[in-house]
Amino acid sequence: MRRGGFGAFLASLLLALLLQLVALPDLLEPLRPLWLPLILGFWAMFMPDMPVLAVAWIAGLLCDVAYDAPLGQYALGLVTVAFLLRRLRGTLLVFPLWQATLALAPAWAMYAFLMFWIDGLTHHSADAARRWLPVLTTTLLWPFVAGLLNGLLQPRNRSVLP
Amino acid sequence: MNTLSNAARKPLFPRGPGLGLEYLLFVILSIGLMVADSRGERFRPIREWASVALRPLLWVTSLPHATVQLGQHLDSREHLLAENRELKNRQLELAGRLQRMAALEAENQRIRELLSAASSLQSRVLIAEVLAVSGNAYRHQVLLGKGERDGVYRGQAVVDADGIMGQVIAVNPTTAIALLITDPEHGIPVQVTRTGLQTVALGRGDGQTLSLPYLPGNADVKVGDLLTSSGLGGRFPPGYPVGKVTQLRHPAGENFMEAIAMPAAQLGRGGQALLVWNDQPGATLDASAVAALMAPPPADAARRKPLPGKRVPPAAPERRP
Repeated sequence: MRRGGFGAFLASLLLALLLQLVALPDLLEPLRPLWLPLILGFWAMFMPDMPVLAVAWIAGLLCDVAYDAPLGQYALGLVTVAFLLRRLRGTLLVFPLWQATLALAPAWAMYAFLMFWIDGLTHHSADAARRWLPVLTTTLLWPFVAGLLNGLLQPRNRSVLP
Repeated sequence: MNTLSNAARKPLFPRGPGLGLEYLLFVILSIGLMVADSRGERFRPIREWASVALRPLLWVTSLPHATVQLGQHLDSREHLLAENRELKNRQLELAGRLQRMAALEAENQRIRELLSAASSLQSRVLIAEVLAVSGNAYRHQVLLGKGERDGVYRGQAVVDADGIMGQVIAVNPTTAIALLITDPEHGIPVQVTRTGLQTVALGRGDGQTLSLPYLPGNADVKVGDLLTSSGLGGRFPPGYPVGKVTQLRHPAGENFMEAIAMPAAQLGRGGQALLVWNDQPGATLDASAVAALMAPPPADAARRKPLPGKRVPPAAPERRP
């Protein structure tokens, strides 16, 4: 059971990394959701058995290399998001889906702010407006991603969700 | 929430300090990496290995882009033709602009030379309103709004923004009359800026043009040459533009030629004129004029002449700000 879940975990993360890095048209580029925090958040919240923090850190390092950011920047952001959702999952799981969606927006915002902050410290400042649009799209995407992944995983782990 | 299974419920009660400690560890690791990475190149191997691991992923992410480019390869013929036409037009436009650029460059050069002349001579000036332009076709005169009370004197040079207009021939208490350089009775010593050739420009009396008569048949004068006042005779300040050669004439049976020039100044228009005080009326006569007269090969003299002045002006404007 756990092994299959882990495979799905890695596959979904790979997909998230792919979606994060894929080239988009200029118009859609600022709207690109924060795929990695989104997927990691899902696993941290619904599948607490996984070694989410360690995987988040490694994925973050890969992200750092891909974006040529200072090593550890994305790693720190992803670990923070994963930790937050893992910590608060008890509260968040109680909420209905739409309330959880709203409650998660600050987590994405915090990730964006962390990236913004470190970029500022390392003098890689980018357009400030571009930082916050992904927060919006990530929030909007959360119910769909959570629903889809839950739907995919439920037949196997029927016991996890109500 | 009673329906939550054991597997889901269990992590709600953290197993000791595990999670927080783990998080702290990763945070410290990340920050340490960042600090160390910003200090130097110590992690180059890590980056290289990671980028090798990422390469297949990056290849996959580049696929959509590559597909779009494939679409561009299969672009329609019409589109390519249109693009080709557009590019050709653009190229033509740019070539035209480049030509203008060359003209501007030459003009800039001349203006710099003028600037050097102007900066070397400069003196007092006075702005005067042009009150009237003579309606008489045979007398090309303007009435200026400054006179004896302002210190205007007979023979004073009158200049506008573009070049020399003429000289004062009569002074009244508050007005003055200036004879324009196009008047048939007017002559002004000029030099061809390009070659330094000295000659006299006479008004032709048609109100439009100047004549440079009795040039040697082989004189190096071309259409488009700029004429500036040479300052010979001491009446006009040297270095001001006078006109531009528009036409060359070789009268039949004569061994001289005549050049026709358009005045640079906006003659016959109202507006403002500048009265120029020439501080040393005689000074220009001895040094530069005699040297110019004594140097028969005009081409060499010209090339050498602007140089001493030329070195001064680029420094002069820079000092101002």
